[in-house]
Amino acid sequence: MDLFSAPGAASGAAPPAPPATQPEPPLRQALREAPHTLHPTLWLGHQLGRQADATCASGYPALDAELPGSGWPRRALSELLLRQPGIGEIRLLSPCLTAIQRSGRLVMLFDLPAALSARALAQLGFDVEALLVINTKALPCGDSLWALEQALKSGHVGAVLAWLPPRLRAERLRRLQLAAQAHDGPAFVLREMAAAEQPTAAPLRLALRPAGADALGVRLLKRRGPPLESPLRLALPPVLSRAEREYAHTALEPKPAALHGATFINLAGLL
Amino acid sequence: MLWIAVHLPLLSLESFAATLPAEMAAQPLALEDEHRIVGANAPARQLGIKPGLKRATALALAPQLTLARADPRRDACALDAVAHTALAFTPNVAIQPANDAVGAEATAPDTVLLDVQGSLRYFGGLEQLLQRLQRALAPLGHRLHIANAPTALGAALLARVHRRFDGIDLPATQRALDAAPAWLLGPGHAHWEALQGMGLRVLAELRALPRSGIARRFGAELLDELDRAYGAKPDPRVALVLPPAFESRLELFARADSADQVLHGAGILLDRLIAWLAAQHAFVRRFTLVMQHEPRWRRGDDGVLTPPETTLELALAEPSRERAHLLVLLRERLARFALPAPTLELRLHAADIAQRAPPNVELFPTPRSEREGLLRLIERLQARLGHEKVHSLAAIDDHRPELATLMRPADAHAVCRGRGSFPSATAQMPSMPAVRYEDAEPAPGMRVRPVWLMTNQGEPLQERDAWPLLDGRPLQLVSGPERIESGWWDMRLVERDYFIAQQPDGALLWIYRIRRLASKPSPGWFLQGRFG
Repeated sequence: MDLFSAPGAASGAAPPAPPATQPEPPLRQALREAPHTLHPTLWLGHQLGRQADATCASGYPALDAELPGSGWPRRALSELLLRQPGIGEIRLLSPCLTAIQRSGRLVMLFDLPAALSARALAQLGFDVEALLVINTKALPCGDSLWALEQALKSGHVGAVLAWLPPRLRAERLRRLQLAAQAHDGPAFVLREMAAAEQPTAAPLRLALRPAGADALGVRLLKRRGPPLESPLRLALPPVLSRAEREYAHTALEPKPAALHGATFINLAGLL
Repeated sequence: MLWIAVHLPLLSLESFAATLPAEMAAQPLALEDEHRIVGANAPARQLGIKPGLKRATALALAPQLTLARADPRRDACALDAVAHTALAFTPNVAIQPANDAVGAEATAPDTVLLDVQGSLRYFGGLEQLLQRLQRALAPLGHRLHIANAPTALGAALLARVHRRFDGIDLPATQRALDAAPAWLLGPGHAHWEALQGMGLRVLAELRALPRSGIARRFGAELLDELDRAYGAKPDPRVALVLPPAFESRLELFARADSADQVLHGAGILLDRLIAWLAAQHAFVRRFTLVMQHEPRWRRGDDGVLTPPETTLELALAEPSRERAHLLVLLRERLARFALPAPTLELRLHAADIAQRAPPNVELFPTPRSEREGLLRLIERLQARLGHEKVHSLAAIDDHRPELATLMRPADAHAVCRGRGSFPSATAQMPSMPAVRYEDAEPAPGMRVRPVWLMTNQGEPLQERDAWPLLDGRPLQLVSGPERIESGWWDMRLVERDYFIAQQPDGALLWIYRIRRLASKPSPGWFLQGRFG
């Protein structure tokens, strides 16, 4: 029996549909209404998927509302696409990562794109001394992925944040996703924006772009659930005071004529 | 007294096979001494090779035979590992000396004796103890004959004839000895041939002869040996003392060209190391593997003379004696390392050990097991990538941003300290207060710093009319200036006015302008960092 065909929608060649008066079998009813009661990994296309494991709250209620399981998934990769480092990605992840550090678990960073500032991390609430940074940039690509895979497989690391080399082959990412199943915590991989055109093994894929001072535009390109049409705009932990932010915002206000068009093209090119 | 004798009938062959790559060890092998075969493995025996054949005959029978000289030193090294393993069960362990060497019949000792009378209760009886002993000896890969008897020599002799002999009391042992062949006392002695010639088959027949006659004919030594075996005379043994430092060598029969071959040999040495550690309930903190290379007198391509040996030193964050873990560390280190020349001999040395109680075996993950798992992971990463690639961060009190962060090789213990302090690694995350950042402000007086820093002084920015540009587009200054003027004491003076600038899409940058001086009219703009 085809479990996924809608009840009563069988075509003429198929066995005749049960008469409407007959009560619907409970399995079918459950499948139609609430498949997640049968198995946590089943969901209907228009519903938001559930996570078998508890998720880690992102610290942004607007984002949590759109993520399956209301938070960053554990035991799976979360792919973040961004044009360049320094648009607010660390501030986006900091509530989740610092909570993991506070729960006594290790956060590991792989292949930083630039030098880190310890003071800035401390200001975001990180325990700087308890971060482990692996730098494999000078080594062959195999080594860097090996290190990441080991960290994921070990299952003892609280969270992993990795900047992947550009133009990573899809099967390598799939391998990381397999390794991540042993990893009890969120695993973030950050990649270049151009990767959006290729399919991904990660069950969650977000595109990030700046959306004004101290704000980040987040588009959910892939999730277990229906696609999200409009990007989210998240206010990040602030760098600027309120007055400065307002000033920055007015400075960004599109001026009439030429600048308007330029801004439009710019944003369209980014996503 | 209760003695267990562990006899290794194939010790010489097995210690020789250990020096071969795995695929070669399954081929026909034989050992020769003075041009005569003294031992052959099963494939060689199938080809008709048996002890006593002449070397030339054996090679004619089986041209593919791998033939090597018996080496008592090699055998002694392998037997030491067995004795060390036995030391984990009782402090009274002795190696049964081989019979005095006479002529061609030089044999290495191949029996280890354990006095287990004092350990029976602890290990829960003889059967349990024997099972554990066999399990402990299994990694060394020897074929074992085990006998237990009330006399040391009795056990040693009976282990030579029986695969498993259980002498519950003295009379049973004496009966078994009576039925044992007389040649047991023979080999290596001057009276060997005389015994043969007298037609004495079993020890009972020898014992039936008048003692004075035996003493006159064969010397008091033989009588003495008989009496000790039968328990008529005390047989004190000197207990083996564990050497304070571990040192073992393995001469490879086939030279090792690849890291895998070296690793195979190193695995055997590691087994011996683990036996030595287990005997003293210790864990190794640091060990050294020395690879002795084939001598080469020419210079290599780079003009450097090939070193005679290479030393790999492994330091462990957490003392360990787990074979798999040590082998993984060694493998990662060897993988990073290009062997300068084929390896002929391996030596393993260890002196730095930690004595402690063995960790409890845990069924479910606990903070402790999580911490250990992390230490292992960090160790493995350090072994493969190198210590200089695994960093931890530290903040330094300095206003100059390029000097305020210290990246240093991570100390695994420091990173793991306090890890897993919660009852369960999978415990729920502490609940997070939902902060709404829309209206938030930085804490009063806090100057927020960017997470990402450009290296050193920062990147120079383009300018148009003294206004900073990035990617050809003007930046909007939204905060600042903040002056940082510091470092006059260490000759790296900075005098900078910092601004937070906004890119046209809203990304925030940290840029600075060198303080304007009358002497330098246009000092220029620099990008210091990005707010990640």
